[in-house]
Amino acid sequence: MLQEESDLSLVIAQIVQKLKGSNLYAQLERQAWASLQRPEIKLESLKEDIKEFFKLSGWEKKLQNAVYSELNVFPLPSHPAAPPEHLKEPLVYMRKAQGSWEKRILKSLNSMCTELSIPLARKRPVGEQKELLNKWNEMGTDEPDLSLFRPVYAPKDFLEVLINLRNPNYENGDSLSFRTHLGLIQVPLKVKGIPELKEFFVELGLTTGQLGIDDSTQVPPELFENEHVRIGQKVLAEQDSAAAQQYIRQGSPTALRAELWALILNISSQPEDILYYEQLKTNVIQHDLLVDSLIYKDVKLTASNDDYYFVFEDYLYQVLLCFSRDTSVLGHFAYNSASPPKSYIRGKLGLEEYAVFYPPNGVIPFHGFSMYVAPLCFLYHEPSKLYQIFREMYVRFFFRLHSISSHPSGIVSLCLLFETLLQTYLPQLFYHLREIGAQPLRISFKWMVRAFSGYLATDQLLLLWDRILGYNSLEILAVLAAAVFAFRAVNLMEVTSLAAAEAVLADLSTLKVMPLLQIFLFATVT
Amino acid sequence: MSRVSVPCHVKGTVALQVGDVRTSQGRPGVLVIDVTFPSVAPFELQEIMFKNYYTAFLSIRVRQHTSTHTPAKWVTCLRDYCLMPDPHSEEGAQEYVSLFKHQSPSMTFPKWLSHPVPCDQSAPLIEGLPEPSRVSSEVQQMWALTEMIRASHTSTRIGRFDVDGCYDLNLLSYT
Repeated sequence: MLQEESDLSLVIAQIVQKLKGSNLYAQLERQAWASLQRPEIKLESLKEDIKEFFKLSGWEKKLQNAVYSELNVFPLPSHPAAPPEHLKEPLVYMRKAQGSWEKRILKSLNSMCTELSIPLARKRPVGEQKELLNKWNEMGTDEPDLSLFRPVYAPKDFLEVLINLRNPNYENGDSLSFRTHLGLIQVPLKVKGIPELKEFFVELGLTTGQLGIDDSTQVPPELFENEHVRIGQKVLAEQDSAAAQQYIRQGSPTALRAELWALILNISSQPEDILYYEQLKTNVIQHDLLVDSLIYKDVKLTASNDDYYFVFEDYLYQVLLCFSRDTSVLGHFAYNSASPPKSYIRGKLGLEEYAVFYPPNGVIPFHGFSMYVAPLCFLYHEPSKLYQIFREMYVRFFFRLHSISSHPSGIVSLCLLFETLLQTYLPQLFYHLREIGAQPLRISFKWMVRAFSGYLATDQLLLLWDRILGYNSLEILAVLAAAVFAFRAVNLMEVTSLAAAEAVLADLSTLKVMPLLQIFLFATVT
Repeated sequence: MSRVSVPCHVKGTVALQVGDVRTSQGRPGVLVIDVTFPSVAPFELQEIMFKNYYTAFLSIRVRQHTSTHTPAKWVTCLRDYCLMPDPHSEEGAQEYVSLFKHQSPSMTFPKWLSHPVPCDQSAPLIEGLPEPSRVSSEVQQMWALTEMIRASHTSTRIGRFDVDGCYDLNLLSYT
């Protein structure tokens, strides 16, 4: 068997293995058994007839969507000799850096614990449980004293860690030479140039219709919008994930967006999913976690202060508190360079049978975390659906924005991509900003870490996130960041300090993302 | 088909340099690693497996013996096999690599062909997807591999996060 064929068989075997444990498998089995009653299923051609039945009844499509989802999310199996750490992150020095960063976070959380004399977790007394259950839909009305809590870290702390990342096998030298990078990121990851980006984002080209450009009031809807909506409805009727992902590269009509995203993320609200969410809710009621206070604080500091999102405050608690209890999220650590924090039941330190993860989902929220959820509240109003969508978005995309890895959609690559694009295509601007002590990444980092949530107007943000889903990549965040600098280049050339540069770029709420992206990628003279 | 690893002795790297002087400035780009096989019994080499560390291109030369009368000859089995598509970036820098017999037709140890062909052809590419029934039978063969993968994945506990209803914790531990 040739190497390529055996690789493919390995991928297939792995996907089969994964899907065997899923709900879909059980459903398919049930359907296959039930189909034996049908007259068209004949014993002599059993296998073919059942396959045909699956095709006609739409079950084959569901299976296709599940396989497509697996291919999108999980990395291809690497070499059989590669250990699990290699799958999380192939470069040793990045793994080490992530490990050190995690240790810092754990220390910070532990010291908060001891200083405030608050346990990491405690079981709520029955009275308190009842009270919380009654208040579940209006947790925002609570005004607990959160003054002593501080966020575990803010994006700028994380940026400092990334700036200090070094490959031990790469000689930078401390003095400026042709080998040092002019930006803040000093690791030699491979990033795409504009020619490659043009190819990758070909559907954003000048000759392809876009929502966010060709649906503006001046453009007659017959030219693009009507047809695009019609195709969208067809894609939804077909329930084809792959087609939806391709379609959404040109943007999603507002009315279809919720369903399209659910289709692409392969989320269908089954009764089991609603039950699972209710179980998580029960876990929140029963146990109080220290991270809950961090979540409260984050929501109060960020989303509650935002004009667009403050109305969704209660939803945010309902999603994030449940998210912390969801052990199924632990699965994504197989391909995340990060690892879930570990703890032991009190008094059982070191005994493996009493080892647990903390929080149960292994994710410690940082300042701004709730902004990943907030935009989704515009699309989904049923808590368990909103929850499922957020969870899937997190384990596919958002986790990459706050862990150290060499993945092309990881935050390190995005930072380097941003800096490289700016340096290459706006060298004067880059040089000027550097000279005045305003390294561009210091300004754009917070935008990318939050996937621009809270910085753009909501309709623009959703158009941007359409493309994240469509291209299954976060690289568009770096391109947009560079495009924003390009757009405000004239003003930026006149500033003489970091503060002034920040002021020029403080308000992005009037920006239209698609024209910016299109101009930067396809209409800038290079 | 059972595979057995052949004991081999990997010597330290030797830099290829012009002249005798070893300078720290003039770091050469070519290093040589000698690999010897202490066992003398003839074997059919199927696969060479290693972990890369910032090597961009790999060539493999083999010294093959014929009969006891003719001297051993050096033969190139693999020339400039690319491990890192862009040597100035991290792609492929720390990857696990397997090189298979079919990639170099003349690799049989210690028997040898009288006129070994220098292998410049790349491994043939498959057109389209393989036969499903053939794949499913091969899935059986792949079972051992997937079992290994499954065993090596960190086991995730789905469902309860507590231990017997208790989630009363110490501090977080640093391991």
